[in-house]
Amino acid sequence: MSDSLTKVFLRDEIGNYIVELGKKDKDVVVVNADLMGTCRNRSFVERFPNRSFNVGIAEQNMISFASGLAREGFKAYTFSMAPFISLRACEQLRTDVAYENLNVRFMAIYAGLSGGISGVTHWSIEDCAIMNAIPNMTVIEICDSNQARALLDKSLTHKGPIYFRSGVLPVFDVYSEDDSFDIGGSKEVCSGNDGAFLCSGVTVGYAKKASEIIKEKHNKNIRVVDLYSLKPIDEKAIIDAAKTNYVVCAQDHNIKGGLASMASDVIVNAGVCTHFKALGVPDEFVAMAHAPYLYNKFGYDTDGLVKAMEELMGI
Amino acid sequence: MNKTIYDLEKAVLNIRINLLNLCAEQAIHIGGDLSIADVMTVLWQYQMNYNPADPKDVTRDRFVLSKGHASAVTSFNQAMLGCFKSEDIIAEYATDEGRFSMHSCNLVNPFVEASTGSLGHGMPIACGIAAALKLKSSPARVYTVMGDGEQSEGSIWEAAMNAVHYKLGNLVAIVDYNKLEADGSIDEVTGIGNLAEKYRTFGWNVREFDGNDIETIKKEFDNLPNVDYEKPTVFVCHTVKGKGVDFMENQVRWHAGKITYEQRDNAISKLKENFSNKWGNN
Repeated sequence: MSDSLTKVFLRDEIGNYIVELGKKDKDVVVVNADLMGTCRNRSFVERFPNRSFNVGIAEQNMISFASGLAREGFKAYTFSMAPFISLRACEQLRTDVAYENLNVRFMAIYAGLSGGISGVTHWSIEDCAIMNAIPNMTVIEICDSNQARALLDKSLTHKGPIYFRSGVLPVFDVYSEDDSFDIGGSKEVCSGNDGAFLCSGVTVGYAKKASEIIKEKHNKNIRVVDLYSLKPIDEKAIIDAAKTNYVVCAQDHNIKGGLASMASDVIVNAGVCTHFKALGVPDEFVAMAHAPYLYNKFGYDTDGLVKAMEELMGI
Repeated sequence: MNKTIYDLEKAVLNIRINLLNLCAEQAIHIGGDLSIADVMTVLWQYQMNYNPADPKDVTRDRFVLSKGHASAVTSFNQAMLGCFKSEDIIAEYATDEGRFSMHSCNLVNPFVEASTGSLGHGMPIACGIAAALKLKSSPARVYTVMGDGEQSEGSIWEAAMNAVHYKLGNLVAIVDYNKLEADGSIDEVTGIGNLAEKYRTFGWNVREFDGNDIETIKKEFDNLPNVDYEKPTVFVCHTVKGKGVDFMENQVRWHAGKITYEQRDNAISKLKENFSNKWGNN
């Protein structure tokens, strides 16, 4: 673990790292839909022009085209904003890629409400629910640059499609270069048995701070579990967390169908009884605003997480 | 493959007979199977480089069925090549655990290059495959067969622009222009205008011809530009929906359906009679 003092932009870290994947594996190709600059993969395009495609503003075609490349043995990394991949090209990624378990990677930036003042069209509060329901799909939510690089390395040898979700706001790194990550795994960011935050993406940093505040304020040790692998999900980590008896689950996603739904599925199926609070985007459309304002309004920033855990625990 | 016009006409007669045999057992998309039967037969029995013993042979020409509901005419052509038996198709079609159905699925049938059914997917997939083959310097071609109604899908035109941009000369797109779709005639439902001109404007090498005339079809395949040509090729094939079966020809009603054994027998007799009238009883 690390305590970085400088914020990083995950799209910079992810986009720039693709060129490293390209150096490691000659089968890596990139397909853009006119958001090469926004998705920060220009370095790959300049280094490997023959292995780079840009289909223009045509996300459906980007995914089907990538499916064709993957059928011929290439590992196709497609880039766009999360709503345009998960909604505009939903049928293409389900039917042309997931159906046949092809090696296409969906690099989806602008997760959740992180698109802020761009508004509803550029938000993605449904993508995890959709991806979770598609067979063969692996779903990853990135919170940190070290995690991004480690999981991108894993993507080189993973068979089948992967949806990589990341927010666009700058974040503090949570992990160090030595931390390892596996598809299907999770990471305990803070230890503790008095309660647990289950989170992914931007809420990991908030939960880490919330845990520190609760320790200082109430001398309670609240575990923080980063469930970066949303599918397959680390069921054991969720069940263990539920055994603390107080679980607050937070994700930058519609509460319905997101991490809270996935975690509560696991808890109910395991027959574990726990106090449980789900935080995220309420099931409604709201007008544009800056993302931190919305995170605060909907109660899943640091303050919201502290308050939710205090209420749940009655402290 | 050295095939004469007689060989190919005989082959397409057998394909049509098989389609009618299946159609008497199961509802199939018979109208569109019959309209594209001639092109599909020349493509599979003459044009394509394809090894029925190895559907993953890297040297093979690729075939993506964009109009996925024409699965039966594809499967019968593959059977004729030796991929499986025609009787297998009739026995297994639309049965539980069967390999064949309304839309082909490569989870159970390895001869299906891409599992299709939803329209507007095959052509963009074919573009990706064609780009990949170019990247690998493969001499293979990619063929994709689309419907005319399918031309309303926006994704077709996303791909149509892209194929030109990436100079996919190894791509041959074929449109089964039978003028009918599920809800009526193309012009009544939503006109697609001058299709050949549309593709020409997009920058394609466009060939427009009678897609039910074996000799013409064979000639057009013979005259395809080399795979390194700077433009993709589209065949706008004017066809008749239900071609070869008088009560089905140009009838929206026969987009899909099942026939009686009597209808089957009569239709097969007429097909054989027409063939004999042209070629004699050999």
